[in-house]
Amino acid sequence: QENLDAQKTAFVLRKAWTLYSVTPLYGFRRGRLRDYARLLSAFIAAEKQKGLAVEVGVELDIKVALSSLADLRGSELDQAGLLVQLSSRSRASSRNSEDKLLWSGWFCSMFGDDLSENVPENFTCLPLFLTHGAESYTALVGSWFQKTFDCCFRRLAISPLNLSWMVAMWAGYKLDRAASAVELVFSMPRLSHPLDISYAIHPEDAKALWDTVQKTPGEITQGEVDIFMDCLYAHFHRHFKIHLSAAKLVKVSTGIASAHCDGIVKILHSQYLPGVLMLLTELAISQIQ
Amino acid sequence: MDETVAEYIRRTVLKMPRDEIKMMLQKWGFLSEAQLQTLNFHQQKDNISQEVVQLCEENSAGIKQAAALDIIYNHIYQNKRMWSVYQMKKSGEEEEYFDIADFKKKFKGRIRSALKNVTITFKEYEDNAIWIRVAWGTPHKKPNQYKPSYVVYHSQTPYVFISASVLKSNLPLLCQALIVASNYRDIREMELRSHSLNSLKDIVFKRYSQNFQTYSPKPVQGWNVEPENADRRIVHENRSAKERIHRLNQESFGCGPQPKLEFAQYRLDTMFKSDPKMDVLDKKEPFRCLVKFSSPHLLESLKSLTPLGMADAPLSPLLTCITHKARNYFKIREKKESFVSP
Repeated sequence: QENLDAQKTAFVLRKAWTLYSVTPLYGFRRGRLRDYARLLSAFIAAEKQKGLAVEVGVELDIKVALSSLADLRGSELDQAGLLVQLSSRSRASSRNSEDKLLWSGWFCSMFGDDLSENVPENFTCLPLFLTHGAESYTALVGSWFQKTFDCCFRRLAISPLNLSWMVAMWAGYKLDRAASAVELVFSMPRLSHPLDISYAIHPEDAKALWDTVQKTPGEITQGEVDIFMDCLYAHFHRHFKIHLSAAKLVKVSTGIASAHCDGIVKILHSQYLPGVLMLLTELAISQIQ
Repeated sequence: MDETVAEYIRRTVLKMPRDEIKMMLQKWGFLSEAQLQTLNFHQQKDNISQEVVQLCEENSAGIKQAAALDIIYNHIYQNKRMWSVYQMKKSGEEEEYFDIADFKKKFKGRIRSALKNVTITFKEYEDNAIWIRVAWGTPHKKPNQYKPSYVVYHSQTPYVFISASVLKSNLPLLCQALIVASNYRDIREMELRSHSLNSLKDIVFKRYSQNFQTYSPKPVQGWNVEPENADRRIVHENRSAKERIHRLNQESFGCGPQPKLEFAQYRLDTMFKSDPKMDVLDKKEPFRCLVKFSSPHLLESLKSLTPLGMADAPLSPLLTCITHKARNYFKIREKKESFVSP
């Protein structure tokens, strides 16, 4: 499970992905990917005719590709990941120019046993959906999947509680080369003049703090995350007399990955990709159940 | 008319909001009132700018005039730029009479002696502000009009406000020219930056209401309005607490409106201290952090934290010292029990 093929998963890294939870897909057949691609392509063309697809130039021809990501799964119980890509080839261009990737979205389950265990046959569990590209394409692809497989998509917001888990966990990971700071961004939006606070800690110092807090390697408890956060709050309060705990944690960022409360993540390091995806799968499943 | 000048004028007009173009052209004064009358300001901006360029062609506009138009735009939209503050130091002599012509001559002379390809433009405003626009070239290239540096100098003060272009390498030459022209000995950059030029002026010219105002609490009124069964001591506590917070806020921030800053940044190089019972980090080296506060109006925002209970009153001196220390960039080290900012 540890070493996913770096080449196959390179497309995931360093992009901002918008997160959704997806209920199980009914009647999905792995063997019919080509058919699905054709059907989705026709659906998009039809919607364009109706004038519903905006941001798409009239001359653009949308090509749809669906593929399986055999590597993107945690255990044998997980379904393999499913990648959807929308590319354009301008009809106007006479030379055989390369297709331009317009939008990607992929379905994934990383150790999502909690969900797949309890689901009847004929349902495929891929609870996490990640998109990169214009919102209008996401809406198109989403509607087609909803209609075809009777599933339901919902934006996956990330609570401050989960963000603090992420920052504590990721701050503790070891990185060989010089890492970027461990940054927490807080917002106080309801003041008459809204205030944002960025609190960035040197990665070595953040890791040193976490290492003294975490008692059992490989295991993290809510208590430990709370202590870690309380330490950071206390250090801040000592200097500024401000109670950071009263502000809303909206974004966390480390050398491993960053996450925003609106459900947007960026993963920077392939080494920890399974761990991050596992956490996100868990969040998606909680939202579904 | 030079094609590059025409294009530059066209692009400058395009930047302006449509309903302000006439006013800016009038301020510019290069086109006659009769010429301005011929312009249709109700059409697309693209067309307006083309027509303006036509008229400039008739008047044979050169780069000097184009630069003057750019200053007008940037003076009105000064808050789109990021300004840094520099302080100049005199050699200790008597205050000399300031001669604007002499200043301009020396400034241009100093810059041109190092770099021939520059466009230097001056404009004086009523508030004694001298605006200087410098477009920089290289020994082999004409000046880049699209990335000029702006300097605002109030001759009665030792302060200069600079909105440098992206070409930072020209900054030393710019600074040198300023001290030569103004007869100062030295210039240093202050740790104070903002988009609001006026607020920076308020801070360094001390035009805001200062701290340490005395505040006399109003006599507590309306005891009778409280619900009958409320514990009077609790109500009194609340009121006292509120008044205390209000008074401390006044002492920290003063009564008047705060200068408008958008951010403050603190590099913390202090120790991490915790309750020994918590059994956490106990390093001998500093816990290195970088904290950045941002808000459309930072000081008012910080002021509002204590009444809401989001911060303890009085607010930390690290925050309340921003205006009287005239800085919003800090490096904080530990010194015994208190913090020092070098």
